[in-house]
Amino acid sequence: MKEVYVEEFMSPGCVGCPAVKEMLEELSSEFGDKLTVEEVDITVDTTRAAQYGVMSVPAIAINGILKFVDVPRKEKLREAILEELER
Amino acid sequence: MNTEKEKRIGVFICHCGKNIAGGLNIKVLVESSKQIQGVAYVVDNKFSCSEDGQVDIKKTIQDQKLDRVVVAACDPSLHLMTFQRCGENAGIEPQFVDLIDIRKWTMHGSPHKVAPEQALEKSKKLIELAVKRMRLKRLIPLVEVKVEQSVLVIGGGVAGLEAGLDLADKGYKVHIVERLPTIGGKMALLYKVFPTNDCAPCILAPKTAYANIHPNITLLTNSEVNNVGGYIGNFNVEVIQRPRYIDTTKCTGCGECVEKCPVKVKDDVFSAGMGQRKAVYIPYDQAIPKKAVIDAQNCLYFRKGVCRLCEKQCPTDAIDFEQQAKTIAMKVGAIIVATGFDEYDPTEKSEYGYGRYNNVITQFQLARLLDIDGPTKGQLLRPTDGKEPKRIVMIQCVGSRDKNTNDYCSNICCMYALKHAQIIKEMVLPEAEIYICFIDMRTVGKGFEKYYRRTREIGINFIRGRPSEIIEESDTKNLLIRVEDPDIGHLLEIKADLVVLSCATIPSSGTGQLSQVLGIALDEDGFFKEMHPKLRPVETNVRGIYICGAAQGPKDIPDSIVQARAAASFADGELRKAKIKLPEFIVKASKLNKGV
Repeated sequence: MKEVYVEEFMSPGCVGCPAVKEMLEELSSEFGDKLTVEEVDITVDTTRAAQYGVMSVPAIAINGILKFVDVPRKEKLREAILEELER
Repeated sequence: MNTEKEKRIGVFICHCGKNIAGGLNIKVLVESSKQIQGVAYVVDNKFSCSEDGQVDIKKTIQDQKLDRVVVAACDPSLHLMTFQRCGENAGIEPQFVDLIDIRKWTMHGSPHKVAPEQALEKSKKLIELAVKRMRLKRLIPLVEVKVEQSVLVIGGGVAGLEAGLDLADKGYKVHIVERLPTIGGKMALLYKVFPTNDCAPCILAPKTAYANIHPNITLLTNSEVNNVGGYIGNFNVEVIQRPRYIDTTKCTGCGECVEKCPVKVKDDVFSAGMGQRKAVYIPYDQAIPKKAVIDAQNCLYFRKGVCRLCEKQCPTDAIDFEQQAKTIAMKVGAIIVATGFDEYDPTEKSEYGYGRYNNVITQFQLARLLDIDGPTKGQLLRPTDGKEPKRIVMIQCVGSRDKNTNDYCSNICCMYALKHAQIIKEMVLPEAEIYICFIDMRTVGKGFEKYYRRTREIGINFIRGRPSEIIEESDTKNLLIRVEDPDIGHLLEIKADLVVLSCATIPSSGTGQLSQVLGIALDEDGFFKEMHPKLRPVETNVRGIYICGAAQGPKDIPDSIVQARAAASFADGELRKAKIKLPEFIVKASKLNKGV
């Protein structure tokens, strides 16, 4: 089974992060077991943010590749996930 | 155990002596890890970071033909590179070696410590996620980028200047951005500094003056960083320079405009509210650049369209009411954040009456009053009646070590209270009685304990106790301080003419906004967060951005200097490479389609 691992970079007080979280919750329901979402608080896990070069949140990495900085359109995010599933 | 052909993942579980093994069942964790999809091999060892541990990991990677590794041990900010190097030596791409922290749940003294069963469950879950992340992670191509040989320093106080001068002397172009119209920061306003009682502006001046003439330094005062994009080696920075309404190429700093200006306002910044300035002003005699600035909010021309006396008076025709804010774009290889601190506003500590009782002031305000070049030319006079105070009470830890305000110790308040007590007793009002009410005197630093002892020897009185309230006598405006002294078991009542609050050191205003602009994290107290509080104190979560001075946490001048040099050293370490390899997506990040 093809799978996708999403790292959702956020921080407390980040304005756009709740919207991304909600989007990913909806996509998790849609994709089921194929999609794993991990929330990474950059104020706690500073090393991960540094490895990815994340300078602003929200940011989204898919299977280790940073794909979005800022709040993406849900359709764009779905396309990026599908693209990984079809690789 | 799943033995997926493409991805053979090894899991190494560290005991960390008893730090992990004492807090959860390692055997159970090993067995559960074997069940995770993609895991080819699981082993535990006593100290993964030890020489033996690393030899074992390297050998296991080769023997088991592993191509991805998860080490379950400690904080990745410390040891991720250790294991990535180990993996690299065994033939694995560093990015396919991950370290996860399971020790935080088991180690004695850890704020996250939980019961062994919970620690086990949390560790299982974390390993499962890390394995999945490694299993699905794609190889990120690296690209080589050029590193700009220039640095942005945010903040022109002693820390920013030290870092900037260090790098400028090494040959890098340095842009120092300062929010106020002069560089020098808080240090320029302290009058004297402990433990030498040197004149603060005098020992700061060599740095400010050198920064002003250094061929590699550009000073941008009255300016703020508005936007930052890019990545290490190639940060794109946008600075907004607010108008001074003065042509600095013409202004000679003669002060004739200031003399003629009819508008006087309270100077909250450079006199801490204890003196006045004009609507057009030069911050202080040693300001750099020594150029006038017009405060448009109070200038009669900007408010009512009248006056322009400064313009008529200026001998060099330097007044420019038409000046607009400028946007300055620059590209830099690294950024150093040295934005300093603010003094806590004690108004919310209503028991001390600050803001209601005019004879209650703060230590920073006292410093301005004691300064022979300050608003009262060094005369210490009570704000209510202009008389010399005969009895002065200082109260320590106002807004510090206090669960209702700031939990942390502000580090410098004990020492500056001692300094001011010494100055008053020895230089200003030798007959004054001075009391310092403290919880603990914290005099940690070279020569500090001797300084404390000397303060006691010259007759300063110390009372161990935090005053519960201050009451003002309505007619005399004298103050009654009630304090419980546990050493003698009595409630004391002290009548004083002046009360000085030793207020907390808090993050400078705008720190939150700047953290958003730079993408660097703040700690729980609102200061900029370092990568690791002990071992990586100047690095941040963004490679190429470093922090120093009180922006990172309360600290005195010597510590700020040391940290500034450390930040400069880290920046130099990256800049001198001239070219670095970065993951392709970092380089593309600023160009990503946001899809909004």
